[in-house]
Amino acid sequence: MADYSIWVLEYAAVEKFPFSVMMYGPMHQGTRKLPYAYVLLKGKGETILIDTGYDHVAFGKQLAESYGVSNYHGPREVLAECGVKPEDVTSVLITHAHFDHMGAMHLFPNAKFYLQKSELDKWVWALTLGQEYRFLTGGGDPADIVRAVEAANEGRMILIAGDKEDVLPGIDVHLAADTHTYGSMYVTVRNDGARNSADKWIFAGDLIYTYDNLTGLDPANPQIVPIGLAVGSQHNLIFASAEMLKSVGGEARRVIPVHEDRLRSAFPSRLTDRGLQVVEIALAKGDKSRVN
Amino acid sequence: MNAQAGGSTEAAAWAYVNEARPVQQLMSAALTQIAGFALLAMTSSRPLSLAEGALLSAQQASMQAVEAVRALEAPESASHHLHHLRQAAAMLRQGCSSALRCLEPQASQGERDALVRALRATSHHLRATATLLPGFELVDLRQACCAAHASKPRLCEA
Repeated sequence: MADYSIWVLEYAAVEKFPFSVMMYGPMHQGTRKLPYAYVLLKGKGETILIDTGYDHVAFGKQLAESYGVSNYHGPREVLAECGVKPEDVTSVLITHAHFDHMGAMHLFPNAKFYLQKSELDKWVWALTLGQEYRFLTGGGDPADIVRAVEAANEGRMILIAGDKEDVLPGIDVHLAADTHTYGSMYVTVRNDGARNSADKWIFAGDLIYTYDNLTGLDPANPQIVPIGLAVGSQHNLIFASAEMLKSVGGEARRVIPVHEDRLRSAFPSRLTDRGLQVVEIALAKGDKSRVN
Repeated sequence: MNAQAGGSTEAAAWAYVNEARPVQQLMSAALTQIAGFALLAMTSSRPLSLAEGALLSAQQASMQAVEAVRALEAPESASHHLHHLRQAAAMLRQGCSSALRCLEPQASQGERDALVRALRATSHHLRATATLLPGFELVDLRQACCAAHASKPRLCEA
């Protein structure tokens, strides 16, 4: 029986997102829905999020009007689908420092936050290079770093240097340096608690957007194809993807891309009254399903 | 208002936007550097050589920004914007001074709190500048993966 209940919770979406950003190479191949989502884990006395979502007050209007992001709902409404309040969240693992993954720290007043140190180090360094290098810092919001300072001053911010086992019970984090961002990390949940777990789930952050990044588009001739946007390199993205796949014995379904719309068909799921998907990856002993 | 007066007001607003935007960008970068330094300092027990470099760079940037803000002139329609830009510059200077004090081994919790307050206030005023006039967005969403797909011209490109 699983230690953690795990849900992927959609909180907004772009209905028509160019496939060429989700996958490097295939230009002019139309669009897909791109959900914005975070992951909720409940178990072992913890309520954990992987990423926070974005700050709707700051960017909601702009994202809606200029970028087609629709149907935003805040964490109070979204987490309620699983019987959780933002105040209940004990820990947040931030996969990378982009606005849509780290932008709502202030909405989780009791949580400790975990971020890779190199994500911060190199961002701060890149800012010293000047405006012409701003591609390297795109997607980052200064306000998020200020909020991280506030959390640090309250003893709620932990910077991790590289891989770390059992950062939380049964949960490991792994640095994927110089990939999508300087210090992206992915999260492994060993859901039976065993070191050599037979029930392992990997949460990929933005190292992959879709299962197609792990398999390619030709089932007869699979390959790893990286996402379309990297501050580091596509080379590093490919090897990070390979590492994640290897870790789950090649079972691509166990590497979870939160922006993948097909999660709803790969796992039990439910469409809420607000039109958001709740995807149930695992259910802990004694916990009740939130999709049935 | 006649067409000529309207045109001149618009031209003054454009001139202000063109001059103020680089100053705001400079302050935004400096704020991130100081905040990054503060974060590393608060979460690490080791020397912060890389972060100290960033702090020095931020200090220079904040001094530049203060001078540049002082030289800005805003038409009536942008006076509120300039007020927030000036406040942001003042708070940024305070933040820089606080960060330097926090470098001292005996830095107190009170000094850390003062640093946090200055950073929060700078962020608040910069965010106000981003909402009051177009073209002052603090995050270039066109460079952000999940919103990189629909480039719209910004004010300077319109």
